[in-house]
Amino acid sequence: MPATSPAGLSRRGFLAASGGLSVAALLGLNGCGNSSTGSKGAPDTLTLLLPGDAPTGWDAVLAKVNEKLKQDLGFTIAPQFIAWSNYQQQSLLKFTAGDTFDTALQARWLNMIQLVASKSLVPVGDLIGKYPNLSKSLAPELLEQNKWKGKLYGIPQVNSAARFHHFTVRQDLADKLGIGEITAFDQLEKFWYDVKQKQKITPVGISSNMPKLLVAFAPVGWLNQHDWENPHVSVQTFSGGSFPFYLAQDGKTTGSAKPIPFWEAPGVVDALRRVRKYYLDGIINKDALNVDSSTIGAQFESGRIASRWAMTDGLSSQSLAPLRKAVPSAQIANVVPIRGGKNAKPNQTFQADNFVVLNVKGQSNERALQLEDWVSIKENHDLISYGVEGKDWKPVGTDKFEQLSQYGFPGYALCWRQTLEKKIKDITPTEEAWFDWAQDYDNFTVDPYASFVPDVTPVKRQDSQVSAAMTQYGNPLWIGAVDVDKGLDALRKAVDKAGLADLHAELEKQANAYLKGE
Amino acid sequence: MTDHSTGPATRRRGALRGSLWLGLLALPAVAFFLVFSYAPMAGLVVAFKEFDISKGIFGSPWNGLDNFRYFFSSGDAGRILLNTLLLNVLFLAATLAAGVTLALMLNELRGRYFKRVAQSTIFFPYFVSPVVIAIMLQVLLSGPAGSGGAVNDALAGFGLPTVSWYTEPGPWPWILTAVKVWQLGGYMSVIFLAAITSIPEDVYEAGQIDGASRAQMAFRITLPLLKPTAAVLLVLGVGRIFYGDFGTIYAIVGDNGTLFPTTDVIDTYVFRSLRQIGDFGTTAAIGLFQSVVGFVLVATAVLIQRRYSKETSLL
Repeated sequence: MPATSPAGLSRRGFLAASGGLSVAALLGLNGCGNSSTGSKGAPDTLTLLLPGDAPTGWDAVLAKVNEKLKQDLGFTIAPQFIAWSNYQQQSLLKFTAGDTFDTALQARWLNMIQLVASKSLVPVGDLIGKYPNLSKSLAPELLEQNKWKGKLYGIPQVNSAARFHHFTVRQDLADKLGIGEITAFDQLEKFWYDVKQKQKITPVGISSNMPKLLVAFAPVGWLNQHDWENPHVSVQTFSGGSFPFYLAQDGKTTGSAKPIPFWEAPGVVDALRRVRKYYLDGIINKDALNVDSSTIGAQFESGRIASRWAMTDGLSSQSLAPLRKAVPSAQIANVVPIRGGKNAKPNQTFQADNFVVLNVKGQSNERALQLEDWVSIKENHDLISYGVEGKDWKPVGTDKFEQLSQYGFPGYALCWRQTLEKKIKDITPTEEAWFDWAQDYDNFTVDPYASFVPDVTPVKRQDSQVSAAMTQYGNPLWIGAVDVDKGLDALRKAVDKAGLADLHAELEKQANAYLKGE
Repeated sequence: MTDHSTGPATRRRGALRGSLWLGLLALPAVAFFLVFSYAPMAGLVVAFKEFDISKGIFGSPWNGLDNFRYFFSSGDAGRILLNTLLLNVLFLAATLAAGVTLALMLNELRGRYFKRVAQSTIFFPYFVSPVVIAIMLQVLLSGPAGSGGAVNDALAGFGLPTVSWYTEPGPWPWILTAVKVWQLGGYMSVIFLAAITSIPEDVYEAGQIDGASRAQMAFRITLPLLKPTAAVLLVLGVGRIFYGDFGTIYAIVGDNGTLFPTTDVIDTYVFRSLRQIGDFGTTAAIGLFQSVVGFVLVATAVLIQRRYSKETSLL
């Protein structure tokens, strides 16, 4: 007599039913897999990688954008926002893992050099001409200057000719402390120490993605006084987080780039000692290695930080309204403590800081370019950049806009076009003046290595190990968290072991070849 | 007359049919493991390749043991291996000890409701995300702009010098161990409490008859009888000893290089390498090394356990 279960089901029946269910489940799972694969045709939705947090009110604007995009081009977009603190690493990981996203923000200071070397990006130079709105909105000089070895690997996102980093400071505090307008680095330093002593807030806010630009960066290290007084340095790295070498300014005449490690360049060790002093004196925030840029931004806007990083992109003044909610009497100013002021003619490569790149593994490179063409139309550009007209913003005159909501899209990651950009209505006079200064190519000296981009391929392994050593030993040194002599010694040993000599020789070879026009 | 329907051939066919259905029953599990555990192992081939995204895993050129050399020639290998072992030994010892101690204490509680509340309270940290733990720790150790924090305030209150916790690597193995005990102590105690409830009541009655005090019963009866459970948890822990506690450590330490000397473990190193360098070959090589050593460790632990305590052995 067959064994029977309490439910009356025979053992064989139970096995048959269970086995059948198992097979059905497997087939079901298989079916699910098939359905999620989607069709092989043109994608209905493009995926974009964007840095930072989604703007306030993003869902409403995205809905409008997608409605219009669907109507105009037959597809929609699904941007993925990745926090700035993770953007460099996560976007690289997504590329190397072969993800099928369509566009991403990239830059030399992110992973663009590695991505070009690994052929992960679509060369777009020859394609742009097919898209009338896009090609009309990009100056021919811009396209020419941003070529690497004759090829353009991304659509440059710029709203000025040159990009120059500097400081946004609390001008109300500078006035209160009797310092007034700040034009030199010494004054800036005095302001910080006075703020520390009398205001009890953090004088300088630094985030975890900033250490590499504090001391050895072209054309000026942010906290390097020597550079602010001599803004003519050319610094090169093989990849975003790798080791900085300084190149000879007379390379074009001598034919030799003579790269030197950053610690041998004039003013750098002094700058490191100065930063260390700032760290110990509490001038810079001690959690710089742990805190991300949005936290620093929020702290500045809540009145807890007296100065922060700025770029000549006209965006610093956007902090004023939120800052005034916390500190009604607050005023901000953009400070470029460069010797010679607006006549200094600092070095400039004129290369875009940001590019929209197309992923070779993307679902449709053609649709990605259609999207870039679409955002080059004024109406579409304004919708995504400033939000819904009447709700998020309203025009002021011909070149300004008034912000009505908290909406603020990172235009540099998708749709910055010099000719289409508007300035914020409340742009401060100092910011507007420096922004205008950055619009003119003649205000700058062309960097002797302007379009030299080192190819990391021959020294990829050494560069990887050196980059790892820079994270461990370089970043704490840059922000002043370790003693300069001990920190430099540890860094030297680590990068020597990691293959710095190979990087040095390879950079010299490539830079000399560049000078010879090869 | 022979009844063919009940002959050996028919029985074999019946057994075969039964096995077939059993096989079908196991099919989803087999498929699951094949797809999610065994098939991805093909990707381990990356450890021996110069991975190039444009050529893919199988199209990329072979490079022998170069990827392994990267790790061992970086100068970081010794420190990372030591950190991994040291931190995990600390975590394992501290959480087991905390689990046993808490279980013994909870077992002695008589108030039913108080016992339940206490048990839930100490179990709760198990559900707290590492990211939240990292923020809580920052508030305690760091404070605004990285100077201050509740711990430093307390130190200053006692006239002791304050510590810049996020740039001092020395205390971090102990800080992380304290975090693990806070997080897992309650969880472990529940396992031990379950083991305590399975101890026959007559053993305690015998102890009572012999005049044992509560403390003597706890240390002479309960504790020795928890040994098999502790042994099983220890073997499971040893099997994972080569896996750093990535979630907690990375959420707390992140890319803060000043703390790497005492906190960088294999998992965080691999993750950082992959994020910053994007080199799949190297990270796969380190991952493979980690798996092989982990396998050897768990096999050794099980064999040792079999030798000394066969009745509680996993095999």
